[in-house]
Amino acid sequence: MTLTIALPSKGRIKEAAAEIFDRAGLPLVSVGNDRSYRGRIDGLDGVEIAYLSASEIARELAAGTVDFGVTGEDLVREDMSEVDARVEFCARLGFGGADVVVAVPEIWLDVETMADLGDVAADFRARHGRRLAIATKYWRLTQQFFSGSHGIQLYRIVESLGATEGAPAAGQADIIVDITSTGSTLKANHLKVLADGVILKSEACLVRARKAAHQGDERVEEIVRRVRGAL
Amino acid sequence: MALIDLPDFAGTLLDEFAARRTHRVDTPVIQPAAPFLDMAGEDLRRRIFLTESETGESFCLRPEFTIPVCLRHIETATGTPKRYAYLGQVFRQRREGGHEFYQAGIEDLGDPDLAAADARIVADALGCLARILPGRSLTVTIGDQAVFEAVVAALGLPAGWQKRLVRAFGQQEVLDAMIARLARPAPMAGLPAEVEALLQAGDEAGLIAHVEAEMARTGTLTNASRAPQEIVRRLKEKRQLADASLDKAKLDALKEFLSLNVSLRYAPGVLADFARAAGLPLDGAIAGFDARVAAFANAGAPLADITWRAAFGRPLDYYTGLVFEVTERGQHKVLAGGGRFDRMMTLLGAPDHIPAVGFALWLDRIAAALSPAGERTAP
Repeated sequence: MTLTIALPSKGRIKEAAAEIFDRAGLPLVSVGNDRSYRGRIDGLDGVEIAYLSASEIARELAAGTVDFGVTGEDLVREDMSEVDARVEFCARLGFGGADVVVAVPEIWLDVETMADLGDVAADFRARHGRRLAIATKYWRLTQQFFSGSHGIQLYRIVESLGATEGAPAAGQADIIVDITSTGSTLKANHLKVLADGVILKSEACLVRARKAAHQGDERVEEIVRRVRGAL
Repeated sequence: MALIDLPDFAGTLLDEFAARRTHRVDTPVIQPAAPFLDMAGEDLRRRIFLTESETGESFCLRPEFTIPVCLRHIETATGTPKRYAYLGQVFRQRREGGHEFYQAGIEDLGDPDLAAADARIVADALGCLARILPGRSLTVTIGDQAVFEAVVAALGLPAGWQKRLVRAFGQQEVLDAMIARLARPAPMAGLPAEVEALLQAGDEAGLIAHVEAEMARTGTLTNASRAPQEIVRRLKEKRQLADASLDKAKLDALKEFLSLNVSLRYAPGVLADFARAAGLPLDGAIAGFDARVAAFANAGAPLADITWRAAFGRPLDYYTGLVFEVTERGQHKVLAGGGRFDRMMTLLGAPDHIPAVGFALWLDRIAAALSPAGERTAP
């Protein structure tokens, strides 16, 4: 059986993943030319590399069409239910760090915690004739955090396909759930992160799809051991 | 297809509904999604089947009947009181069982005698189940948010805390966290110095001016979301909430109340004893509870088979009083669930307040309970 490892196809995260595989003694070799979306590992037969976008990697892991993937934990947790039963987070790679956070307008002086937000959400409909609107592309993480962890049921999600941090200023939503690394974009848009509003501290991870065929496959253990050793 | 998998007892059930003087209604399978998401929250989104029209409007396959029946009542404006019955398919994404299954139930709208209507709806649910499952021993668990609200009010907490606790009713973990927090004040800090000074001086106009100026400076719309007045008012309320706490005796009383779980026969006495021991003024709630128990007895509901669990509630803002579930004795699968939802009709757009109470029967579970071997003995 050929093992497929899905790696990011572009950007800083692609280079960082290649560096780690290099340090792990798993040097990546392109198949064909340098722009190719296929590769292999020098010296390790039966393993192929597929270069995909970070969000595709999460989806392919969920579908089980790849064996390993390097992608952000946020994307993996957003893309599948019962995530820990379906994939294993084998190693946290120390790059691509970003937090998924709940951010509200800075001027909401009375809202510092999720409990405050719960109060505001509960009264929102009576005051405004609509539910509190949250702009996000993280539907699942938002629901789990608001409903599951904080007992807040009454809000509406407004799907955001980009520039989420601009949604409150544009009047599209009241607050946002988004990813932030330095917080500067939030600040520039006059938003603040709630004190207990960090939903997930995400970073790039080596993720394995849990498959029965991996049992006793030495290559699987070898890849995990070497990547962990390179950190 | 639909005719084939309709449960065998559907005809019997419809007869029973008619005998209980209800008006049978049907509603379209394809429903606008917004009312369901607005009422039940975003959690529902992953459990229903959503689609979008060409113009971008969200529709879903009917996930339940209460909202469609209520919307239909509002549209047809036929007046109250009304007793509606339904039987039809609902569609939900479920981990176990099929995605499409039958539900039936009664919605009783507009009876101002709440205790009588509560008792009647529980008797309806039990009567329907007894007709389909003759000879089976059924048990009812009831809860009542109104009693919890009375207990919370009697503790003497600020209104904001009362609302918080009532909102968490039915969610034990959230309540536990709030109870832990209430053991001591949690002073609020970290406000900008200028705001802190205005707040301490009680200068509401100054605070509003400050918030307006900041909004103008940052280009924030003052009419799109929360207005300056709203922010300032809650800031003042929050200071009160932060300073609030409960002494140990009151916290223990709250915890004890939430652990009450007794047969309805003894519930009035237990509640009265609790109020006396805790020193809480609950006379109104006790009187209401007594009236309910009397109404249950009048409606012929078997008090011995009904248990009152003080912590039983549903965390949705339209449930206001009674909630109940019926199971077979010794089984955990809920065969019928219902409650009072007095706030729903106006939330859905009814011009007047309409008291409402109802229940739904889980026909697939009832069918499983009927089959001789199968699921009944499985854990």
